[in-house]
Amino acid sequence: MQENYLAKWLNGDLSEDELKEFMKSEEYASYQRLKEVSSTLRAPEFEVETALQQLKQERIGEAPKVIALQPYKKFLRVAAAVAVLMVGSYFYLNLGKETFSAELAQQTEVTLPDNSEILLNADSKVTFNERTWDKTRKVSLKGEAFFKVAKGKTFTVSTSQGSVTVLGTQFNVENRKGFFEVTCYEGLVSVSYKDTERKLHAGTSFMVVDGRVVDASQPTTSTPSWMNNESSFERIPLKFVFEELERQYDITVKTENVDQSLLFTGTFSNTDMKMALKSISAPSRIKFKQEGDNVLFYAENTP
Amino acid sequence: MSNVCEDQVYSSIFRANSKTLFNYIYYKFGNEAKANDAVQEAFVKLWENCSKVAPEKAKAYLYTVANNMYLNVLKAEKVRLKYADTSNDRSNESPEFLMEEKEYKQKLDNALDSLPENQRTTFLLNRIDGKKYAEIAEMEGVSVKAIEKRMHLALKSLREKIDGI
Repeated sequence: MQENYLAKWLNGDLSEDELKEFMKSEEYASYQRLKEVSSTLRAPEFEVETALQQLKQERIGEAPKVIALQPYKKFLRVAAAVAVLMVGSYFYLNLGKETFSAELAQQTEVTLPDNSEILLNADSKVTFNERTWDKTRKVSLKGEAFFKVAKGKTFTVSTSQGSVTVLGTQFNVENRKGFFEVTCYEGLVSVSYKDTERKLHAGTSFMVVDGRVVDASQPTTSTPSWMNNESSFERIPLKFVFEELERQYDITVKTENVDQSLLFTGTFSNTDMKMALKSISAPSRIKFKQEGDNVLFYAENTP
Repeated sequence: MSNVCEDQVYSSIFRANSKTLFNYIYYKFGNEAKANDAVQEAFVKLWENCSKVAPEKAKAYLYTVANNMYLNVLKAEKVRLKYADTSNDRSNESPEFLMEEKEYKQKLDNALDSLPENQRTTFLLNRIDGKKYAEIAEMEGVSVKAIEKRMHLALKSLREKIDGI
């Protein structure tokens, strides 16, 4: 028998002759049993994943995490810098920025640093910079407002549709969707709309409806009607009348069989809704139904 | 180029080697806690030297570290092993046979315990972990022939102990 034949036998490396010879020996049965039983031996439990977690958390600590994060480090640095810049510039640009607004069915009075006054109609907003007010008198307007401007440097009202510049005067600016109107009540107002500039003397107004400049009537009052809790219209499409109604009462207006391009001349109350609804429906020969915050204007099809 | 410092490479080396490394130390010293420590220690060392050890050398590195750790320090304790539950296939065996089987396993346990540490380790790595002689030789840092010798001697003395010669 060759050297280490037991190891060779266990490994299946004995030649046929050697195996036959070994099987004849008396101890063969013992070895065979040893081979069989020892193959059912089992080592103690070892949880590989648990051990790996333990190793990483307790022994290697933060090291693998640092390596995993490295690709993002540069990105994080840049992102942090950008964030600081953005926040910084936001605060810088907005330093001294003041915003006043009037909610639906509300009016708000604003007094500017130079004692100029702004009265905001329902659903309107003005923004101005208090810090630079001494140098530039400029406000941004969304919605409708009446301005009583103290004498001084040029006063500018900028809107999404056009801007108004004055020196010292009283005027009203209405900047609604598809509707832009400036009415001068005192002094001189300069309106720039698109590329044209128009000077408005006291008692005149400038109106743009759906992108078209419309000849507006002369105001007959010294202040806009809404300041007396009324909304007045002269030859204005019903669409804008309904929108104003929605703003004044915080309601939703729906229509059925009503031609909204019909021109409306009249006034409705901003305090008495029943009266206001009648004021609109009667002259237009339409009817209305009211259910909570919803109002339906409808025309009955007369044969 | 894969690098041991990369988390993925390192984790895959751990998954491939930790269990056998644990068994290897356990067969030598019969101490589960120490075997667990050896695995942790060896892998911490590997991590610390991850830039110096190539992935294909990692296995040999781990066994060297684990070996050196307890060399001449730890006194071997009794190695306790379990047997796979084979009673299902043998439900028709007589009580006498089952009794004899239990006695045999008891004798094998004792015989394994009295083996020199290097013979027991070689025998168990082959029988439990199915390691080839060449692999065991690599772990132990000796020749394949030396492992064959250890195996031969292990079988011989186990049989003698069990048969009471």
